[in-house]
Amino acid sequence: MEIEDLKTIWKNNERYERKNEAQIALMLKGQSKSIIDKLKRNVWFEMVFTFVSGLCLLFYAITLENGAVKWTSISILILFGVAAFYYVKKLILLNNFDSGKENIKDNLETLVTNLSSYLKYYKRSYTILYPVYFVLSLLFVAVERGMDEFITNLMKTETVLYLVGLAATFYLCCTWLVDWLIKKLYGNHLDKLKRLLAELENPLPA
Amino acid sequence: MTEDEKKFVNLINEHQGLIHKVCIMYEHDIDLRDDLFQEIVLQLWKSFNSFRGEAKFTTWMYRIALNTAISGFRKESRKVKTEDLREKHFNISDHIHRDEREDDFLKLQWAIRQLSEIERAMIMMALEEIPYEEIAETIGITQNNVRVRMNRIREKIKKLMLQ
Repeated sequence: MEIEDLKTIWKNNERYERKNEAQIALMLKGQSKSIIDKLKRNVWFEMVFTFVSGLCLLFYAITLENGAVKWTSISILILFGVAAFYYVKKLILLNNFDSGKENIKDNLETLVTNLSSYLKYYKRSYTILYPVYFVLSLLFVAVERGMDEFITNLMKTETVLYLVGLAATFYLCCTWLVDWLIKKLYGNHLDKLKRLLAELENPLPA
Repeated sequence: MTEDEKKFVNLINEHQGLIHKVCIMYEHDIDLRDDLFQEIVLQLWKSFNSFRGEAKFTTWMYRIALNTAISGFRKESRKVKTEDLREKHFNISDHIHRDEREDDFLKLQWAIRQLSEIERAMIMMALEEIPYEEIAETIGITQNNVRVRMNRIREKIKKLMLQ
C-alpha cells in the first residue's frame, strides 16, 4: 500500500458533523481549557483570595489598639503586599506562552522550559513561605500568652524539642502536599511534553 | 459581531474539516472532541491577529491546531467514553453491510491512532498533500528527517492495516 493509496482512502471520507457559523461564533465566547489558561485562572484565584484576606486582616488590625497583635497583623499585610508582586511575576511568566507563533518542536521546548521553571518558582516560593508562616504562628502564640512566659517556656528542652518536631512535621507535610498537588495537576502533562520532545530530538534509530 | 470576528468565523467555517480531522485523530473520547474543537478555535482566534498571510491559511491552522491537540490541551479526568474503532467497526457480523471504502477509511483512522502524537501529525499533513517542506517547517525538523520518518510511518501503517 503506497502513500497515494492512503491519500485516496483519506480523501474519500468526511465523517464529521459540521458546525454552523452561529456555533463557531459562540465558541469564541467560551472559556479556554488549555493548561496555560487554567494556570492563569488559578493565579487570579489565589490573588483574589489574598486580596480579600488582606482586606479582612486590615479591618481587624484597624479595630485593635497599639500592641503586638496589631503589629503582627500589619506585618502579615506587608507579606500580602510582597505576595502581590509574586502573583504579578507568575502572570508575566504565563503570558509569555503563545502556541501560535512556533513550530511543534519549538513550542514543546518553550512549554517544557517555561512550565518547569514556573513549577520550580511555584514550589520555591512556598518553601520560603512555610518558615515565615511558622515563625508568625509562634509570634501569635507568644503575644497571646505573654512574651515573658513564652521565653521562659522556650528555655525548656522539651519545648524546644516539641517546636523542632512541630516545625519539621509542618514543613514536611506542606512540602509533600505541594509536591503531590503539582505532580497531580501538571506532572503528567509535563512528562508527556518531555517524552514528545525527546521523540523529536533523538536521532532516528537505524 | 465585529468585522474581524465575521471574517474569522467564515474562514473557520470554510476550513472546519481540518479541525475535525485533528480532533478525531487526537481525541479518543467522543464527548471531549467538542471541547478540543472549541479549544482549537479559541487558540486560532487568539492568534488570528498575528496571521499575516505569509504562510497559507491552512498551514497556519495546522500549526496551531496540532500544537493545541499535542501540547496545549489537558483532558479533564472523567469516565472516558471511548470509540474503539476495532470493536465498533470491524465486527465480522456487521462487515457485509458496509461499504468497502468506509471500511478502509476506518482501518486507516485506527492505524493512525496507534502512532505517536508526532507521527500522527506528520501522516495527517502528508495525507492532506502538504509538501514535505511545509511539514518540516510545521514540525520543526529537517526535510530529510521528514522523509526518513515518513517512510517508517508508512511501513507501520501498512503493517497495522494488514492486522
